[in-house]
Amino acid sequence: MATSVITVNRDTRPGYYPIFYGMWLTLRNMLETLFVKGRSATIEYPEKKRNISTRYRGVHLLTAREDGTPKCVACYMCATVCPAECIYIEAGERPEKKIEKYPTRFEIDLLRCVYCGFCVDACPEEAILMSRENDLVGTSRAELVIDRENLMHRGKLAEVGTGYRPVDHDVRRPVRVAALERLKSEHGIVPGMPNRS
Amino acid sequence: MPKVTIDGKEIEVAQGTSVIQAAELAGVRVPRFCYHDDLPVDGNCRMCMVEIEKFPKLQIACGTPVTDGMVVKTQVTSPKAKEAQKNTLEFLLVNHPIDCPVCDQAGECYLQDQYMDNGLHDSRTVLEEKIHKRKVVDIGPIMLDAERCVVCSRCIRYEREVTKTNLLEFVNRGGSTQISTYNGGPITHEYAGNLVDVCPVGALLSKDFRFKMRVWFLKETDSICPGCSTGCNITIDHRDGEAYRIRPRRNVEVNKSWICDPGRDLYKIIGTGRVTTAHRAGGAVVAQSDLIDEVVSKLQSAGPSSAFLATPRASNEDAYAFKKLAESVGGRLDFRVGNPQDKVAVRKDQILQREDRHPNTQGLLNLGLGVTGVDALLADCKAGKVQVLVLQDGGLLREAAVAEAAKNVAYVVAIATHQGPHLAAAHAVIPAAVWAETDGTFTNFDQRVQRFKRAFDPPGDAKPRWEIALDLLTRLGKPVNAATAADVFVEMAVETKAYADLTHRSLGPKGRAAAQASA
Repeated sequence: MATSVITVNRDTRPGYYPIFYGMWLTLRNMLETLFVKGRSATIEYPEKKRNISTRYRGVHLLTAREDGTPKCVACYMCATVCPAECIYIEAGERPEKKIEKYPTRFEIDLLRCVYCGFCVDACPEEAILMSRENDLVGTSRAELVIDRENLMHRGKLAEVGTGYRPVDHDVRRPVRVAALERLKSEHGIVPGMPNRS
Repeated sequence: MPKVTIDGKEIEVAQGTSVIQAAELAGVRVPRFCYHDDLPVDGNCRMCMVEIEKFPKLQIACGTPVTDGMVVKTQVTSPKAKEAQKNTLEFLLVNHPIDCPVCDQAGECYLQDQYMDNGLHDSRTVLEEKIHKRKVVDIGPIMLDAERCVVCSRCIRYEREVTKTNLLEFVNRGGSTQISTYNGGPITHEYAGNLVDVCPVGALLSKDFRFKMRVWFLKETDSICPGCSTGCNITIDHRDGEAYRIRPRRNVEVNKSWICDPGRDLYKIIGTGRVTTAHRAGGAVVAQSDLIDEVVSKLQSAGPSSAFLATPRASNEDAYAFKKLAESVGGRLDFRVGNPQDKVAVRKDQILQREDRHPNTQGLLNLGLGVTGVDALLADCKAGKVQVLVLQDGGLLREAAVAEAAKNVAYVVAIATHQGPHLAAAHAVIPAAVWAETDGTFTNFDQRVQRFKRAFDPPGDAKPRWEIALDLLTRLGKPVNAATAADVFVEMAVETKAYADLTHRSLGPKGRAAAQASA
């Protein structure tokens, strides 16, 4: 196979100027970072943290009912939709007949999770949300598979705040909204969950 | 035979076929709730409305027999029929609770399927105005939720026609109609699980399967129930190597759409107390290959003074390979403790179960086993004339006669699936797969050869019994040319008259009859 040679015309002039210009740039940036306020590209983590969006998709959390039990009804929607297959659920029978089902085990493997937020979208009960917590530290893999209790009682939550949560599905459906308004104006009824006795 | 045109497709069907069945044959599934293939037609749900030419109004497809020259338009081609079905569905959903997240039927629910196919309407019912009925009612093996019921009466007809127990009935009227047992008492017969399958919605749910798994995660494998000689067709639902439930698979000639509850519970034996490694008496684990070599040398030195005891739990392939093994050593071979041959076809009840609690007694009889009678073999063991006794199923040691006989045998080999104190009598234990973990065939009481398929892998070092027997044969220097259960079946068909023109493939999903003249 024949090879072809391309001749490249390189500018071979001795270039002292670019070297000094580069060094000046470095020096200027260093001095500005040290002495000019607000010019710094870095922050002093972990004392300072970045402002992250209120829709940030960080580590998950499970919401609770008023009596402290999980809101989750173990419907497996999150586990079904999860593309990383990182959610493991075991369901059990709740004593009160009104709700029937709840998760006896709910584990998320945070190392497998891709933080896509599909679980939040899929949840019919607003039971799983995402926090803004993004510093994930552990000394073993097992430690980062977090269980139901940890998902429900996230000590750091007050500090980091909630992140991604579902949009109100009713709002996205104008037909439903119109129907609800008609109901309210014509019959004075505001639908909620039924009372099962 | 009447010719009928369904959605422009002309087909010829048998006299007396209903429109809904004819449509199924033409490849159109008309939505339904109350119609069930194996139950009498009731026609109460009004879901299967179709347009029939020259009829002034829409007709129910389940209750209208076809006539020659009938022209039917289903929901596929008739907007009128589709609209009617949509309206019926909306009525059925008026009082239906929003329980899908906690309802085990979700995923195989007729309401869900048909809402996604036809409905997709926004509810016009206000939640507060829905009629509330009894929920989470414990009726024995079943959980009743009257609120989810669509009042199709399938369960009532099942109770009336199949089990003839009449335990369920409608109470109240109009919108408040709900199903109930008498005084809320339990379902007591052994066919309660079928009520769950019959129910098109989540009103009757299995207590055993309750909240175990969502059905869309489960994979289905066609199988045959190993519980008795009837050989009911079943589906094993499993996920990640674990079986979660057994459901009936329709076979009009064997079990229709039903199975018994003891059969339904058999999935539980798959995952519990299994033998996973080869070991000696007392539980000392040894490499499987070493142990099999040891068994081979013992068999070689014993020769004709060895004995082989087969099990009617084994498939035809297992039994054939075991027979080959016995023949190659020259040892005696038999099966079945006692004399139960004549019980193979004896009914235990009037529905499905039979007295013989083994799936393949007939298959072993077809192979020519069980002619001499097992008592002579066991007597020889007792008299110390047998040096090596090979048990195809470790569970045989649970039988007092076998355990007694094994005491006087120098070397007992047990090919075992399940652990237990009885295995202490065996000098060598080789782990074996259960039926769900291998391919094979059972021959039922009626000489019907039916195929079951491998659902998942056996645990640990366990192997199918036919594979263990073939391994022993290879090491004895008399290999059988077979790598799969289907190959073993071919070898068997060559030698066995009953299976002469059969192969795994030709058996199909519903099985075929063996040739009547048994070998």
